[in-house]
Amino acid sequence: MICLSKNEQGADLLAGYLAKTLDAPRMAELTRHIQECSDCRGLATVWERLDEFAVPEVTPGFDARLYARIAREEARISLSSWRRWLWRPVAPLAAVAAAAVAVVLYVHSPAIPDAAKQASPTQSNGADIEQVAQAVDDMDLLVPLDR
Amino acid sequence: MEAVVALERDAQLMLRVREGDDTSFGLLLERHRGPVVHFLYRMVQNQAVSEELAQEVFLRVYRSRETYEPTAKFTTWLFRIATHVALNSIRDRKKEKGHESLSESNDEMLGGLERQVADRQPTIEQEMVHEVKLREVRQAIEALPAKQRAAVLMHKYEGLDYAQIAGVLSCSESAIKSLLFRAYEALRDRLAHMA
Repeated sequence: MICLSKNEQGADLLAGYLAKTLDAPRMAELTRHIQECSDCRGLATVWERLDEFAVPEVTPGFDARLYARIAREEARISLSSWRRWLWRPVAPLAAVAAAAVAVVLYVHSPAIPDAAKQASPTQSNGADIEQVAQAVDDMDLLVPLDR
Repeated sequence: MEAVVALERDAQLMLRVREGDDTSFGLLLERHRGPVVHFLYRMVQNQAVSEELAQEVFLRVYRSRETYEPTAKFTTWLFRIATHVALNSIRDRKKEKGHESLSESNDEMLGGLERQVADRQPTIEQEMVHEVKLREVRQAIEALPAKQRAAVLMHKYEGLDYAQIAGVLSCSESAIKSLLFRAYEALRDRLAHMA
């Protein structure tokens, strides 16, 4: 006996029965069983009821809308990769430039003896301020590179 | 055999898309646009939303072209994306609006759909009876838990076998068999009065 409710393949048997794709002996057996078993008859009816769930046609502009979305996404990806490509060499360049400025400042800074430093703290401060101002000016040159 | 040939063709097309052949993407779209939109329509029961979600599905397919590997059937992979997108949408819509607005929009488009589907000229009474039956079927499907709903729709309307549905829903085949049967039994109980 094939009872759909008690068979592991129930859903597939039901589909095969209604589509008439089961082999002849099985079709005959299931036909007899469905006439006797109200549960299985109910399942067969449900399958037929579900056929009534029609679907609307896909709207004509579907593909055009999809391709437009793809084009927008491609453009966005292309733009962001361009940005990455443009900025990739700038960061190391900026670092190298900053290091070069630091080296130049260090090399050109006047060597002040400790005693002199102690004797004229104002003069030393003035030199430091100049150096800082120079460094700031140099750093300003780098600013556009970082933006 | 036909299914195997179809699989090979789809996978080959997708591999061509991976190599930059957009014409192959167009062919895949042509072959699967209808089934994907119809599956999503039955899942969310709203035409505008189903088409929007289908666009998202094909966009994800296109995005994934460079990493695509034909390890599973193309349709399994495609319906996995579609199911994922649909389940997310159902979850989000439940949070946002609840069911009332969805039912309203269903009712609004029901008339149009009826007119589109019916070729003959039924009487007003026949049309009303059919409309009521259709609404009951839709509501019975909508009342299923989302995973059961997806399984039924793939099994009943899209012709996916147990193995494919199991692949889509990341379950074992035996789990899918019992899930599907529970779903059909629930539908039978809800629609028993229509017999």
